[in-house]
Amino acid sequence: MTFFNLTGASLGWEHSRRRAYLAGLLPALVVLGAITLLPALFLLAVSLTPLSLVKPGTAFDFSDPLGNYRELLWDGRFHNSVLLQLHLSTVSVALQLAVGLGVALLLNVRSRFFEAIRAAFLIPMVLPPIVVALIWKILYTPDVSPLYRVLDSVGLPVDSLITDPALAIWAIGVAETWQWFPFTMLMVLATLQLIPDDPLEAARIDGANRWQVFRHITLAYLRPALVVCGLFRLIDSFKAFPLIYVLTNGGPGSATEVTNFYGFIEAFNFSYWGYASAIAVIMLLGVFAVSWLVGRLGWNEVHHD
Amino acid sequence: MTQTPSFSRRHLLAGAAALGGGLLLPGKAPAIGGTKPFVGTTLNVSTFNAPFARILTKWLPEFEDATGAKVVYDTPSFPVYNQRADLELSTGGASYDVLNITFIYSSRWINAGWFTPLDDYIRDANQTPADWAADWDVEDFLPGLRASESDRSGRLYGIPWTVDTFVAGASRFDLFKAAGIGLPDTTDDLVTALKAVHGKERVAGFVTDNHYGWTFVPFLQAFGGNVFRNPPDDLTPTLDTPEAAAAAEYFARLLKEFGPNGVLSYTEDQALQALQAGRANYTAIGQTYLSQVGAAHSKTAATVAYGPVVRGPAGRFPGVATHGLGIPAASKNKDAAWAFIQWALSKKNTRRAIVEERYASPTRRTDFASAEFKQIATLNGYDLAEIIASSVDLAARQGHMKYRTVPVYPQVDQQLNKAIANIASGQLSAREALAQAQANSITELKRAGVAI
Repeated sequence: MTFFNLTGASLGWEHSRRRAYLAGLLPALVVLGAITLLPALFLLAVSLTPLSLVKPGTAFDFSDPLGNYRELLWDGRFHNSVLLQLHLSTVSVALQLAVGLGVALLLNVRSRFFEAIRAAFLIPMVLPPIVVALIWKILYTPDVSPLYRVLDSVGLPVDSLITDPALAIWAIGVAETWQWFPFTMLMVLATLQLIPDDPLEAARIDGANRWQVFRHITLAYLRPALVVCGLFRLIDSFKAFPLIYVLTNGGPGSATEVTNFYGFIEAFNFSYWGYASAIAVIMLLGVFAVSWLVGRLGWNEVHHD
Repeated sequence: MTQTPSFSRRHLLAGAAALGGGLLLPGKAPAIGGTKPFVGTTLNVSTFNAPFARILTKWLPEFEDATGAKVVYDTPSFPVYNQRADLELSTGGASYDVLNITFIYSSRWINAGWFTPLDDYIRDANQTPADWAADWDVEDFLPGLRASESDRSGRLYGIPWTVDTFVAGASRFDLFKAAGIGLPDTTDDLVTALKAVHGKERVAGFVTDNHYGWTFVPFLQAFGGNVFRNPPDDLTPTLDTPEAAAAAEYFARLLKEFGPNGVLSYTEDQALQALQAGRANYTAIGQTYLSQVGAAHSKTAATVAYGPVVRGPAGRFPGVATHGLGIPAASKNKDAAWAFIQWALSKKNTRRAIVEERYASPTRRTDFASAEFKQIATLNGYDLAEIIASSVDLAARQGHMKYRTVPVYPQVDQQLNKAIANIASGQLSAREALAQAQANSITELKRAGVAI
């Protein structure tokens, strides 16, 4: 009797607790659904139509729902944009992680001076993207750039990077790195503060040199933070737009026309919203796939061996 | 005609005219008969940022005082304006009451029925009173400019407020003179001249902006090529012809051999700054930009020379583009919008813009012929007004700008931008780049439903 009473009471309490949690979460879930899921579903629905704003009748035409996706299979400009996107994302994320990690290690010193320097390094990250783009537009424009002038004055003139088809994508990657390496720097600095002294001291006592300490202990602690940074920045890199719009406008030719920019052109220059939505859906799936893969590989888990 | 205000615009406009330009006197704008017909109306106006838009913004209080309307005037940059307006119009939005009809989009926007025909407003004596119409006089706007603001049946949708005409200029003509060379007249002369002046005193010989769908086409046509076979009736692209290849090779050479470092990334503003600062010498661009090289603040005002664009084997083909003020079909304040357009482009105000603000891009015949315009358009001794007027006439006679006002031009425009950049940056040969542009254009046109 007591057992059943207790169990019943326990279940009732558990049920009430869950209901209370759900009631608490419900407003947030409704808001999240309204601002995230509904637009995403709308995007998906539009991608199944040939919607062109010049032809209003195409808005609810679901007669060939996979038409846009089929067309993407044969669209060389889209394929080229995906390759460029991967190139840009790889270059910029790798550079951001390397520079962010390096600067964080250099600044991992307890002193007011270095704290001030850390704050200064955060400036690029908080600047509006269009301002960052304008700064780099000036830096990359030979006849007004102080960098080019210095190089020119010492007899080392350099051709414009953003009009060189082989280097333009790298130039954008460098500008993106300048803006976003502080994010990795911050995360790594925070993690460095949390590394206990014991394993570091033990390793030194055992005769490990600096590199070995860094490679086998510090980096092991930093790995989850670096993976999270990499994932965040990778997802964000797919949205690279202001830099490309201002610096190269996708050129020269199509040398910097990444997928995001191509989708923009299809939607805003040609009014092919159905097709542009299909491009956005493919990008979304790509980001999901990368996130899932990282989770499956377990790179973001802590292993202290 | 959506509104029936308590007091007729006829009285307002007639009264304004009778007052002999009362609207022109700051602080004395009349409230006719004490009645302001558009009290409570908020008029949303948008054009891209340009000198005339800035002048109108300055004068807005006069219109507001006279009519009681409140005007919100939005002036984003050219590409942002076009994207925003295209989206607004194509979705049938009623956010704007007066919009600029951009030249390159004119056919697309007008033929899709996104703008209101203005003929009824012009004919309606209640909307455009006879005594006011005499002052306003739509026939005074150059016919060649009105044509691109009209549909195939001749109905007018926009009133031109600016015209941009291709003019050639050398900001450092002193270097030409030192080399014993005049302003080039032909495409061959141009190469000879650039060889002589490029790099002298660290000044690049040639500069232009990277909107090649605009800056390259006069050269394409000069070499005997064109964008379409017979626009607007036959829109088969003709970008892979030998003439087009020769023109593209020639134009890319100007950029590669004689352009400043990084010229492929130059926007219109950058090209203008390079000319004003004397970092680049010769160009062929629109007069709204090029005239600023001769302005007082320009470092090269005393050395600049102007002339018509060069002629090639097929002749001379100056680009001419005009933009007009129109009323979106979905506007809920069409009467007030029409009153605004009449006010903005009245004879008195267009002349006043020239006299008081040195406005360099009039669209009225009487303004072109006026002594005031001649005076401000004479720069460093060169009569820019004459070059512009003859170029506009030439374009109207030859009809060579028809390629530009077809609804699908934006798609081909972008293919030309890419093709020239691909050639000048060494990614593709002229033939390869143009074959690619031709194939892509055909794909885009078919996709847009054009029968080829």
